[in-house]
Amino acid sequence: MRDFILKRIAAVILPFVCVYGFYVIFHGHISPGGSFAGGIIVGLSYIAFSTIYGIEKGRAKIPDKVLTWTESFGTLWYGLMGLVGIFKGVPFLANKLAGVDLGLPGALFSGGIIFYIGLGVGIRVASTMITIFFTLMEDQS
Amino acid sequence: MTAMIADNLPVLVIIVPLFIGIVLPVFARRLRLVEGMVVLAEALGLVGAGFLAYMVVTRKGADWIYQVGGWPAPWGIELTANSLAVFFLAVVMVVSLPIALFTIGNLRQEVGGNMRTARFYTLFLLLVGSLAGMALTNDLFNTYVLVEVATLSCCGLVSSHGTPRAAEAAFNYLILATLASSLVVSGIGFIYVITGHLNMGFASQGLEQIWQAKPHAVWIAISFVLVGFGLKSAIFPLHIWLPDAHSSAPSPASAVLSGLAVKGYMICLLKFLYVVFGPDLMKEFSVDRILVLAGMTAIICGSVMALPQNNLKRRLAFSTVAQVGYIYLGFGLMDINGLAGALFYLASHAAIKSALFLSAGAMISATGKKKISELAGIGRKMPLTASVFTAASLGLIGIPLFSGFIGKWYLIAGSLDSGDFLPTIIIIAGSVLCAAYLFPVIRVAWFESPQQAEQVNAEQQAEQPDSAAQEGSRGIALQDEEMHSGQQVQQTAVYQNVQENTPPGNQVKDPGTAQKLALILLTAVIFILGIMPGPFIALAKRAAAELLMLR
Repeated sequence: MRDFILKRIAAVILPFVCVYGFYVIFHGHISPGGSFAGGIIVGLSYIAFSTIYGIEKGRAKIPDKVLTWTESFGTLWYGLMGLVGIFKGVPFLANKLAGVDLGLPGALFSGGIIFYIGLGVGIRVASTMITIFFTLMEDQS
Repeated sequence: MTAMIADNLPVLVIIVPLFIGIVLPVFARRLRLVEGMVVLAEALGLVGAGFLAYMVVTRKGADWIYQVGGWPAPWGIELTANSLAVFFLAVVMVVSLPIALFTIGNLRQEVGGNMRTARFYTLFLLLVGSLAGMALTNDLFNTYVLVEVATLSCCGLVSSHGTPRAAEAAFNYLILATLASSLVVSGIGFIYVITGHLNMGFASQGLEQIWQAKPHAVWIAISFVLVGFGLKSAIFPLHIWLPDAHSSAPSPASAVLSGLAVKGYMICLLKFLYVVFGPDLMKEFSVDRILVLAGMTAIICGSVMALPQNNLKRRLAFSTVAQVGYIYLGFGLMDINGLAGALFYLASHAAIKSALFLSAGAMISATGKKKISELAGIGRKMPLTASVFTAASLGLIGIPLFSGFIGKWYLIAGSLDSGDFLPTIIIIAGSVLCAAYLFPVIRVAWFESPQQAEQVNAEQQAEQPDSAAQEGSRGIALQDEEMHSGQQVQQTAVYQNVQENTPPGNQVKDPGTAQKLALILLTAVIFILGIMPGPFIALAKRAAAELLMLR
């Protein structure tokens, strides 16, 4: 990987790709976007980084241990957010009934627990994408 | 707090195994903690299932419907805690707890590596959670999602040995199971197109009103669902993936696959046929006759195919094909006794087949021998394991005092009620064939002279240095060949180590305390179901009456 232009351009673009991914994750519930799609964009930014700069550098950025943690706890986070409804005395994953606002279109933080659930899903999807990529690369080399 | 938990019990029973399972890879370094968490999840699930069953049995009036997210029926997902759901839920939890106990301490050497063991447990708990979900859910698409979760977990469990043979079996299974999933989802799509509902109750009402206008669409939907779930639950002509998959998996995985996973798909099929399409529609499209015919064919063909197998786990896997037939036959009888018998037989087979696979696995891992003919005199060396195997075999054959007898009794009663005498003959013939393929194992294990076996062992020990050298050279050759895929070499090496490290014949003894406890628990379940079937058969009959709409 001695491609100077590719590396410079990636260095400029990839942070924005990553931030855009988080933007899409956060806007999943009351404006266009989605936590799954956003998670894939975030994962993609890391995959692009490690294809351009080399697998070792990519692995150094996110060690396996961190990946395992985010993968497991992203999903657990979803479950914990679902339990909020139960602790408020209404069914699992209930949002409006639990006294949390249902949300206004366009207003980012008005969606109650959906915002936090989306965050968990996004992180999980991103780390799963990266794990799949690393696993495939491992098998190839 | 208690009221809070009690109100949300239907969803907690599903999510506790799922979410505990998902965090396990984080703790892979501390395997004791992982095992503790698995047993904790199973115990919580068992307590929850027991409490839920108690609440449902003592409940008066309509079914207990739980609306996930607080959204009402046509839009939201419903969980229905009725008799069928709590029956299957109890079966899942009661059988999977001993299997989890059996894995304590000895899974690592079979699967290889801490991380692989933790991932095995993750898949195991995902499977248990999705089976609990299949029992409770009242939503068509939710059923499909749970079926997918279960299928992928099963594929992972089958391939967890890491040997090429296991990978091949898992790949076969993955392709066929994906085909089945696509059939199921197409069937659900047809139902949705016809009725506009994904809730089982609403879809059923819609089908009742509209099926005469669009009989062909309904027919296609029924056949897709039937073939899809038939392929997943390995009814006779569609069973080809099962023997490979179940015999090449580690024995706890074989136990949970044969004992529970296959049953989960059958419960899904039962709900689709009886709850969504309804008994009238089934009779109209002669689905009941298809089920009875398929069941009878499976009983005979599965048993006959089991007879010539010399590999113990393969024989047990073919036996599962035959036993699936009994349950399908009961589903097709459309009679309260037959259906209750099928449900009871489902429960009893779950316990029996798990006990058989676990005890067979203990024998195989202690001796390192897979063939039935090589297990001569094992009863003297591993008395407890061989006794459990014998008790479970007698249960599968249907000897009184064991649970299989009660199930077969009700199935025979149901088939006599329905007026056909052929199913009765087939059930009895199936028992005879079952005795024909299981008694030889018992005879070899107990009555084949151990002296003869020792002689054979001595001969083998004399030959061993030679063969070990051969094995070693072959291992090196293998490593040279597969240098390009480093991981595979590692796994193969791990597997060979496992096989080489197995103790020689004179040190063979019963497995450790946790394994003994697991085997004893399963045997106790078989005996309790056989000696005091009263409350269980009553619950099964209630479930059957609900399904047949005879309230």
